[in-house]
Amino acid sequence: MSQPNVGEELNKAAVEPLLPIEKKLIGWSLGLGIGLLVILAVVNHLFPVSI
Amino acid sequence: MSTTTSTLTAGSIPRRADNVEISPRISEDWLSLIVGLLIFILALAGIANIDLLGWTVTTSVWTDLGKALGPVAKSYASLGGAGAILATYVALLVILSVTVFALKSDLKRFALAFTAVFWIAYGSWIVGNYANFAAVTPADLQKFGINWSLKLTNEGGYIFALIAGLIIANFLPRFAETIKAAIRPELYIKIAIVILGGFIAVTAASKLNLASSLLLRGIAAIVEAYLIYWAVVYFVARKWFGFNREWAAPLASGISICGVAASIATGSAIRAKPAIPVLVSSLVVIFAVVEVLILPFLAQTFLWREPLVAGAWIGLAVKTDGAAVAGGGITEALILAKNAAAGIKYQPGWVLATTATVKVFIDIFIGIWAFILGYIWTNHINPTNKDRAKASEIWQRFPKFILGFVATFLAGLYLALGTPAGIAAKVPAAMGEANAFRVIFFILTFFSIGVLSNFRTLWQEGIGKLAAVYVVSLFGFVIWVGLLISWLFFSGIHPPLAS
Repeated sequence: MSQPNVGEELNKAAVEPLLPIEKKLIGWSLGLGIGLLVILAVVNHLFPVSI
Repeated sequence: MSTTTSTLTAGSIPRRADNVEISPRISEDWLSLIVGLLIFILALAGIANIDLLGWTVTTSVWTDLGKALGPVAKSYASLGGAGAILATYVALLVILSVTVFALKSDLKRFALAFTAVFWIAYGSWIVGNYANFAAVTPADLQKFGINWSLKLTNEGGYIFALIAGLIIANFLPRFAETIKAAIRPELYIKIAIVILGGFIAVTAASKLNLASSLLLRGIAAIVEAYLIYWAVVYFVARKWFGFNREWAAPLASGISICGVAASIATGSAIRAKPAIPVLVSSLVVIFAVVEVLILPFLAQTFLWREPLVAGAWIGLAVKTDGAAVAGGGITEALILAKNAAAGIKYQPGWVLATTATVKVFIDIFIGIWAFILGYIWTNHINPTNKDRAKASEIWQRFPKFILGFVATFLAGLYLALGTPAGIAAKVPAAMGEANAFRVIFFILTFFSIGVLSNFRTLWQEGIGKLAAVYVVSLFGFVIWVGLLISWLFFSGIHPPLAS
């Protein structure tokens, strides 16, 4: 596979502003991720490791 | 997780004389599963008192080279160190040659290259086991009659293999090109992970409650990698560094999830140019090398009182399976050694099991995540009627070797817990013999990663801006959030004490 020069490729690439769907993807991912981590942290607290 | 990089891509893709790619008979993923299971099954013969793998070479910390090597089982002691390493080399050459034949690669070229790879990599491992590098406790220093040691433990031998690979990649590029047919870190680490399943099962069986608690906590790693890391890195790449979508998505997957596999799966899912995930993969490997040289020692210094936090952290921070899982092995050795020096002797295996659990949990969802991205891209960003993402791609991109890991884990667990005491008592020794192969595949992985890391070539390819995103994301975010989550979910949990 021939390799492009990354620097040249990036300079050639047109500027693409963030689309609403991308903003939604980022926002939903972060929101869901933080929410799930909070839930897991609570579960972790309520059910500590039993050795 | 094929670690194809910009400098050595051709090594893993068989081609005809007219340079047309040849489709392999079976994927590397399935082959790694088969080889791993084969070694696991051969080791299990030990339960029936048939020792099929006892000749495998193992290395002890040494000052007298003549005593460094030996077979893993006493029943094969007559082989001696030289016989054991020769037998191991021949066995690996045969089994991997069959694998390479199935991949339709050039057999002769592989055999020659593997010969060089095996002896250099294992030679580096032997050097790393020299007492002045590996001895840890004052008792060890006294035993070997030495007054100083770098205290790298015997697992520090991985770092020696890595450095040997780096030297070849950066100072002997022609030689690196010559041996590239056997530079297959992903094949080696996948086989190792399949074998690791049985070893972890034996460790887990001794404390099943603790093991199941660790598994549950692995879910946090999935959430962190896919939902938190990916979103932030994608935003950073798009907004701060101005990357277009075709570059930003594979880059975000490479930095956030399981570097190489995820960037390739994402690139393919969003229909990016094939070269993009390959270049991102190169970057992931380079950074994994840097991380493995630094993070285990940081973990030993700052996290030695929280061994499982350290194990989870390595799994979350290092972004290739090979470097992460083997890095977990180094971290375990360093932390257990420091605790031993303080009079606390933990059972080995738990830190490595934590790293492997975190990594395997993350890997499982690569196909699903790639499908989600593919669906969004082909339906909303670049809508097309012809090439829309299909649900069948989830299975296509599922890392099949994980099935092998699960199979050996469940089989090991059943044998250790569900069989009469007479059988169960023989399982740890059987897994110990399989584990000797796991160590050798780790060594081959580390060496191969080093050989793939040609810094100069990558820099010449203009990878600086990509590297800048990686540096900002990794050191500004990934490492610290990984540490926070690891601390939140794994602090206060300690491995069982060695009896």
